[in-house]
Amino acid sequence: MKKCRELVAERAFLLSALASSSITVAILAFMVFMGLPLMRQGGLYQLLLKPWAPYQGSFGIYPMIMGTGAISLLSLLFAFPLSLGCSFLIGSIAPKPAGRGFRRLIELMTGIPTVIYGFVGIFLLVPIVRELFQRGSGLCILTAALVLGIMITPTMTLFFCDSFDRIPRTYLDAADALGASPVQKLLYVILPAAKNGMLNGVILSLGRAVGDTLIALMLAGNAVRVAESVLEPARTLTAHIALVIAADYESPEFRSIFACGVVLYLFTMAVTFLVRYLSFTKDTTV
Amino acid sequence: MTQDIKIRVANLNFSYRDRTVLQDVTVSFAGNAITALTGSSGVGKSTFLMTLNRLWENVSNAQMKGTVEIKLQHRFRDIYAPDLSVTELRKMVAMVFQVPNPLPMSIRKNVAFPLKLSGERNRGFVGAKVEHALKMANLWDEVRDRLNDDARTLSGGQQQRLCIARALVLEPEVLLLDEPTSSLDQASTAVIEELLIGLKDRLTILIVSHHPEQVIRIADRVVEFADGTIVSAPRT
Repeated sequence: MKKCRELVAERAFLLSALASSSITVAILAFMVFMGLPLMRQGGLYQLLLKPWAPYQGSFGIYPMIMGTGAISLLSLLFAFPLSLGCSFLIGSIAPKPAGRGFRRLIELMTGIPTVIYGFVGIFLLVPIVRELFQRGSGLCILTAALVLGIMITPTMTLFFCDSFDRIPRTYLDAADALGASPVQKLLYVILPAAKNGMLNGVILSLGRAVGDTLIALMLAGNAVRVAESVLEPARTLTAHIALVIAADYESPEFRSIFACGVVLYLFTMAVTFLVRYLSFTKDTTV
Repeated sequence: MTQDIKIRVANLNFSYRDRTVLQDVTVSFAGNAITALTGSSGVGKSTFLMTLNRLWENVSNAQMKGTVEIKLQHRFRDIYAPDLSVTELRKMVAMVFQVPNPLPMSIRKNVAFPLKLSGERNRGFVGAKVEHALKMANLWDEVRDRLNDDARTLSGGQQQRLCIARALVLEPEVLLLDEPTSSLDQASTAVIEELLIGLKDRLTILIVSHHPEQVIRIADRVVEFADGTIVSAPRT
């Protein structure tokens, strides 16, 4: 009887695993299939490297790829030092109870819906950026990247904290016994020993920044051209999908969003493989 | 035996989470000698050792009262006084743990690590100090051709000697050892014992040991702990 139950459970798990992996592959196949007519018509080169000018028959998503890259990388630039500071405060500087409380707060922040960050950005940050730089409406790459950076900071911080927690106690004892100051311990022992875990956190946070739709949609200005500075508006791939899908259904413009989907899908896949690779890489010497 | 007093401890009390670990400990330790701290497990020997270089301060919910004075650079200094930083103290009062704890870096970088912490950048000077420390720890001949190898590839005994070399590189005045041979085989233990005997002319050594034979072999003096206090100690 017990064996029979185990067999049923085993099969059920196998079925679930097969279903979820098939769905993932099916989504890619669906997007490629839907975008295929446009890809055949103009070629992948045109789609990926040409500007978006639907009235001239050009459905390139190059500006959106650049917008996504600029906003997500800039947000990473803001989030990294913030996360490092927060995680070091939680793990090393703050007294244990305060560190625990701070960590709970960070965990809570990961659950705040993106739209709330967007609202705060619109009402607080956009006017500040507009007044400060006296250029444009304030809806620009910088504003979106700042808010996106704040949004991904909790995720990155928790990854960093977990990496710090995994450092063997013996390393920290050795550093303490040799008279290392807290900052020296961070720079010479903690950071080198935790670098793989931290890199995982950075990559996954980048994935989250690239995949976010609402913040870019609400704060980046959504201009379909390649921005020349961070104070100019831009549109991300996700925002482009949301905007086109809201207004259209059957046109070539609509088909183009499947190409956006494929690009995002491939990026996510690359991130996943990179994280897997890094997770399997043994820790190295400093 | 008349030797100068190196460490003076008076009315030392230590508690952890409201549990008394050390109670009214008053003792002195002679310089340039090996003193073994003995007693059964859990009587406070390792905690006592940690009060001598303030390493217990990393433990939350711990409290200490009393005075600890160590003769550093020819004068007695209260190691808990504000004018002596923890960093400075630990450079002069080094500690080696029960389990070897090489850092995840090369053999050379491990031994040079305390010099790096002190801001020493002169490569020639660092190289010479590393060699000198490894020679003092009787490890130089075994690792001279593989200084850039990961320190964790060394055997347990070699790792412990590496940790001793790392502790010695800044030329401390006191070396605290918490059961340094408990995880090692007989041959490695013998090498480390010989090393410690050779070092006592330059250093004051306090070693926690559970092995009576080891105590007989290497210790000049024995301080016995029981229930958080000292039950027998030589007059210094």
